Amino acid sequence: MSEIISQSVLRGLAAEWIAGGKSVAGPARVKPDLVLYRTLRSGDDLLLEGFQRPSNSIKDFLFPKAEKLYGYKIHGNSIELIENDSPEPAQVIIAARPCDAAALPILDHVFNWDFHDEFYNRRRAATTVVTLACSAHDENCFCTSVGLDPGSERGSDAILFALGSGQYEVRCATEKGHALFDGKTEKSERTGKAIAGPEKRFDAKAVRAFVTTHFEDPFWNEHALTCIGCGTCAFSCPACHCFDIVDAGPAAGNARVKTWDSCQFSTFTAHASGHNPRPVQATRQRQRILHKFAIYPEKFGEILCTGCGNCARNCPVGLGVLSVATEINHG
Amino acid sequence: MSKAQEFEPKIVAYVCNWCTYLGADLAGTARLEYPPNVRIIRLPCTGRIDFNLIIKALEVGADGVLVSGCHPGDCHYTAGNYHARRRWILFRELLDTLGIDLRRIQFTWISAAEGRKWQQVVTEFTDQTRKLGPYKELYATGPFPDVPAPETASPGVKSFAAESELREVCGKLLAEGTVKVVIGYGARGPVVVTRAEDAERLVWNNRCFSNLTAYLKRKEIKSLGKAAVIVKPCDEKSLVELEKEAQFERKDAHVIGMACEGVDQPKCAHCTARTPRFADVTLGVEAGPEPQTSPSPNRFAALMAMPPAERMAFWTEEFNRCVKCYACRQVCPMCYCERCIVDKNRPIAIDPAPSTKGNFAWHIARAFHLAGRCVGCGECSRACPAGIDLALLNISLHIAAQKNFGYEAGIDPKAEPVIGSYTLHDTEAFIR
Repeated sequence: MSEIISQSVLRGLAAEWIAGGKSVAGPARVKPDLVLYRTLRSGDDLLLEGFQRPSNSIKDFLFPKAEKLYGYKIHGNSIELIENDSPEPAQVIIAARPCDAAALPILDHVFNWDFHDEFYNRRRAATTVVTLACSAHDENCFCTSVGLDPGSERGSDAILFALGSGQYEVRCATEKGHALFDGKTEKSERTGKAIAGPEKRFDAKAVRAFVTTHFEDPFWNEHALTCIGCGTCAFSCPACHCFDIVDAGPAAGNARVKTWDSCQFSTFTAHASGHNPRPVQATRQRQRILHKFAIYPEKFGEILCTGCGNCARNCPVGLGVLSVATEINHG
Repeated sequence: MSKAQEFEPKIVAYVCNWCTYLGADLAGTARLEYPPNVRIIRLPCTGRIDFNLIIKALEVGADGVLVSGCHPGDCHYTAGNYHARRRWILFRELLDTLGIDLRRIQFTWISAAEGRKWQQVVTEFTDQTRKLGPYKELYATGPFPDVPAPETASPGVKSFAAESELREVCGKLLAEGTVKVVIGYGARGPVVVTRAEDAERLVWNNRCFSNLTAYLKRKEIKSLGKAAVIVKPCDEKSLVELEKEAQFERKDAHVIGMACEGVDQPKCAHCTARTPRFADVTLGVEAGPEPQTSPSPNRFAALMAMPPAERMAFWTEEFNRCVKCYACRQVCPMCYCERCIVDKNRPIAIDPAPSTKGNFAWHIARAFHLAGRCVGCGECSRACPAGIDLALLNISLHIAAQKNFGYEAGIDPKAEPVIGSYTLHDTEAFIR
């Protein structure tokens, strides 16, 4: 026996959640050739098929591009700090891709390792993730190379499997998932199944072995020559989590803000003295791969990549984790 | 008393030290009364009033901005005000494209002897701003009609005939040591080839989007030795501008020009540059007579057909998607500053957070720094992961430079750059 739900009921549910004061985010078409996860205004905004995956990731809703940490007011010589402790409204992320949801446990480790990031945890506790198993993959997908697959339930509170003709099987994995769907589904004999994943594109162990033993290697320089040093890969990555803390001045209402940062920026490691330990793009590209395949795994036991392929899809010059990893693998 | 009558506008006045500041001082010593709404900020010269300051004043809550300096011919630094005037002409066009209310920015010339003019200008501008009310529309959201999306590339790969010739030429250049490196296109994007046998990796097809001249500035590439760079006729225009700005010398690079059949980008629809003009070697079949200039792209016309409030709502929605990845800056051949203004933090000139204001400030700075310099390669729009059609801002300034100064970036190597030069008779109908 399985639990199923129709697309129209699902849209209705989303509308109900919105009406009930929840913030609901999911894939929506922004432009003819652009699909993004964004806050939905209605159940009809939700886009469920006809695209590979959104260009951004669901981290936007847990670790937003700009988060106010606190405000401040200057009175003469003294400064008054204004805490930002407003509770986050409950939110539902619907039709997330498995490669997005799987990144949440990765972020959980980072934001709770020695310092517990209250902003992240607050949002995380208030968020329910409903994943939609993939029904297609493209040449940039490589979840199977990093230990996941198109039906992976990791990080999901509930997962939907398309049954065709607008029906989905619902499998709830957590209490939060049950809270959303219990009593809303119908019993059925049909069960869904995700598609087979893309063929394994590289061996992650071999990549790790290479990066830990080839710190100084001409490979990096050669590979990184065409990298232009923007932050597109990191910002569209579901698992990248580096941030900066900046003071947004009077124009922005006097606040200290946590913003995304990228190891591909030349200023990422720039010291006040002018010295930069990662002086050229090759060292920054190496850092990205090293962090994903060696540094993070050493600390937390898993790869800092879910194989979503967003880095390659969004890269203006056709680079990305997949191309580096395959190049390393195939020499 | 009604609410409207209670409103007192805040006005920021940026004035030059030598004329207008003294004019305002004269108004004071002559006991001329004028509204106290104006906060004066004294700067050395109108030529040094950065356009970011105008935006900043509005951002922090000014309802109007007054900018004033010496009359033409009176500049104490000879030509600061002429340079300023030229910038204002272009800057107003950019602000108009963004939907900023131009009635809230007044430019004027007031000399040290014109205390009375200062009194009049401040009084009238304050009255006018009071009538307009608080500037609530700045960066406000709201409804707006659709702007047609740029035509997108077709997914298929169509190789062009000159591909094999290109490989041959590049292989030979590397083998003979004419160049140490070839910056070209590969199957997935740009490639940098240093060995003659790797010239086989080069492709020439309808997916050759990148403007490869952007790589010439990168120190990693420079350190490899003399480069050959493959350019489409449109990309070649950036070399013209870079050379004018002393960023590039022809002897330092071997330019391989490709006669172009189009690469399925929005810009190709109205492209008039089909054949390279300055390349050391040109490959491919020259694609017949150059097409007539078509009217400006319809998406820009659609944008400008909206009333300003709708344009502003359009940009607010677009910029709210910006994540500040700076792909627009990094792909741009004309963005070559060692340290970009947005990366400067002592002091912070542009709010680094990807907030509405921070994003507006960044995109205004980016677009205006490219005024009269952007060659229209459209890479900024193509690179944006948030799908922001940044080229619309560049198109606005491109049209403004052409209309006001007859200048088109990247065409005439001898033409004086728009910013950095001036004439005595630049239009000043908008200056009081």
